[in-house]
Amino acid sequence: MALHVDDLHVSYGPKRAVDGVSLDITDGEIFGLLGPNGAGKTSTLSAIEGLVRPDSGSIRIGEVDAVAHPTAAKARMGVQLQSTSFQSDLTIREIVRLYAGLYGVPLSRTEIDDLLANVHLGDEASKRFSQLSGGQQKRVSLLIATIHDPPLVLLDEPTAGLDPQARRQLWDRIERLRDTGRSILLTTHSMEEAQAVCQRVAIIDRGKLLTVDTPTGLIEKHKDDPRVRKVAHGQVTLEDVFIGLTGTELRD
Amino acid sequence: MSSQPSALPNHTPTVSGILRALLEADLTVQLRNGRALLLTFFPPLAVLYGLSTAKRGSRLGGPIVDVALALTLGIALIAILGYTASVARDRELGVFQRLRVTPAPTWTIMVSRLAVQILSMLAMTVVVLVAAAVVVKVTLDPAAYLLTLAMVIFCSALFLGVGQALVGLVKSVDTVNALGRLSFLPLVALGLFGHSDIFGTTFETIARWSPGGVVVTLLAGAMQPSAWSVDTWWALPASVLYSIIFAGIGIRWFQWSTR
Repeated sequence: MALHVDDLHVSYGPKRAVDGVSLDITDGEIFGLLGPNGAGKTSTLSAIEGLVRPDSGSIRIGEVDAVAHPTAAKARMGVQLQSTSFQSDLTIREIVRLYAGLYGVPLSRTEIDDLLANVHLGDEASKRFSQLSGGQQKRVSLLIATIHDPPLVLLDEPTAGLDPQARRQLWDRIERLRDTGRSILLTTHSMEEAQAVCQRVAIIDRGKLLTVDTPTGLIEKHKDDPRVRKVAHGQVTLEDVFIGLTGTELRD
Repeated sequence: MSSQPSALPNHTPTVSGILRALLEADLTVQLRNGRALLLTFFPPLAVLYGLSTAKRGSRLGGPIVDVALALTLGIALIAILGYTASVARDRELGVFQRLRVTPAPTWTIMVSRLAVQILSMLAMTVVVLVAAAVVVKVTLDPAAYLLTLAMVIFCSALFLGVGQALVGLVKSVDTVNALGRLSFLPLVALGLFGHSDIFGTTFETIARWSPGGVVVTLLAGAMQPSAWSVDTWWALPASVLYSIIFAGIGIRWFQWSTR
């Protein structure tokens, strides 16, 4: 098991952001976490990443208890945050060198340049992060998230704000990561993305996991739910299931 | 029951390797901001020149105190304005959050930044001491130069502690910058009046034992070891105490994210 989360609770003061979430991700699986804004997706990821300490519950990355041994757990996972930024005065090459050092991966300048060339960023090595396009920034972030060859990769809305070409390219890269045996947990608002790349999808709302299955399994499981039927226009889609289970009201 | 972490299949980061990587990056950033660094050298040099040519300079304690005041201003500039601004900006950008999801212990992130700031302050000290020798004709014994550099580390720690407390407790970049400017002047001005009786002896005593006053006392004592007094000795633990209190507050309650 690449990731095991059991009965996770996270609060910010009186506000309960994650309320008893449990999930398992198997080796070589892409698992999608779908939810409206403020549903608890990023808080769940933040607890796994060690950015917030859970009130209760357990998190295991492989054999490592991530709550008791956060440093060891962090060495076993790669993370792409929702809004990533790196030191604005460093070049892309220097950023890669820094993060390689933080993960204990000794890389020569040639090796760094080869890695950047592999993600079509060879010509951008001397540029600053802010000088890159959105798609290029995401590719740098993904490269850094996987620079230490982690068994588990966490991607928080990895394709948000990308054009269709850049999004497709990133999906290909995510699938290639999966093909090399890594497990991936990603959050997304895109039903298309969830259906295109995820083996299993969980829908989360108000801190609780509502349902988990394959994308087609979720449709099958909920297609006769009156809440889903009410919002469906013709054949039930994953989005109908999502809207049916989480409601139609706007979230901030 | 929690299991013990097993060895990583490929890579195991060490604290020394993590610190080396952070220091290299932070030093690169600092050197790349060479123009900003040079600008921080200008105000202490201007103050040094202004004090040394002013008629009332002798009333503030003489040429050695003039140099100490210039150094105090330079250290405070880097710590209270420069350091806090860079930390607040990187926090706003999410740089710290990105670093925190790596195996780097959080203390290494701060220690690396603080170490680079102390190096900047030592560089500024060398520039001011050279200017003092060439322009103002204030030269020191070799031992006094070494003692001054050592005391600059204590003084840097004190003002960086103040800066850390400021940026640790306040999230907003704008508020940090505004509070930095507001607190900068009283800190330096108190140092100035700690060696002057123009506002009376009670005020002088308070000013002398304020953070700024302690810094001026230490630097003036280090530059003139023959005049090293009981007050100078007491200024040493006072600087350590201030550093621990301010830095402790700033690190313990540091807000890693603006959210």
